[in-house]
Amino acid sequence: MSEFTFASSQPGQVQEVDLADETKSDRPWIVIVWNDPINLMSYVTFVFQKLFGYSLEKATELMLDVHHKGRAVVSSGSRERAEFDVYRLHEHGLWATMEHDSL
Amino acid sequence: MGDYGARFAVKKNGPVVRLKNGNFKIDLADDHRRLLTQLIEQLRDSLTTTTDDANLRRLFPTAYHNDAKKDAEYQRLMRDELLESRLAAIDIAISVLTNDNEITDEQIDSFSRSINSLRLVLGTTLDIAESDYGSQSDAQQSENSDGDEASEADEYLIQKELYEYLGWLLEWTVSAQSSGL
Repeated sequence: MSEFTFASSQPGQVQEVDLADETKSDRPWIVIVWNDPINLMSYVTFVFQKLFGYSLEKATELMLDVHHKGRAVVSSGSRERAEFDVYRLHEHGLWATMEHDSL
Repeated sequence: MGDYGARFAVKKNGPVVRLKNGNFKIDLADDHRRLLTQLIEQLRDSLTTTTDDANLRRLFPTAYHNDAKKDAEYQRLMRDELLESRLAAIDIAISVLTNDNEITDEQIDSFSRSINSLRLVLGTTLDIAESDYGSQSDAQQSENSDGDEASEADEYLIQKELYEYLGWLLEWTVSAQSSGL
């Protein structure tokens, strides 16, 4: 995985901080898997177990959430961690995206 | 999501089994191996020609669904890496299909990912929807067509059968992989 780098201010410079963005950046990122009509339920369950180490029960519960509710949050954490999880899910053909947790 | 296991899992011993030593064995007829190899090679050719084909879109999903700028940056950094990962898995899947050796955990992972990639592309081409599972409309569509329409309907049915075959094979592969978790 490539890492993102962020521009930093130079010594002596005053950097304006957007408080709304600052508050937003404190919140974790969540990884969402969306329902699709192609991926097999058994395959999705297996991928959740394999990538995240979930039990069969937990993986099945998440898979059923995806199937019936249209989406499920499968992991959360830093932006880098979420991007890593999204990438691994994409490698396995799942429709995964990430966003800032709204809570 | 789909569930083809109930329709095709009629054999007691499936085409993919986990051995006592933790490796796997694939039991497929030679013509099935050749067909799968051809399909996976076609997928490799498509991926190395262009990744902008609409039928390949499921292999390169959006990462930031509500932030186009962040997604563009993500795709710039990760799309090639994802492509390389898919091509590496395809190479391993082809080697698995062209010999009859025992298969390691890493090899079966590449095999199942490649079969799933094929399903995603074929399912996109067929415009598979949730309501298609268990539908009888395909056979009726073929019976009610003639001439060019019949030819197109036949082609659709062949692709649909292939799609279902890949689902059957993937169900067995996942079942064998899951037995080791």
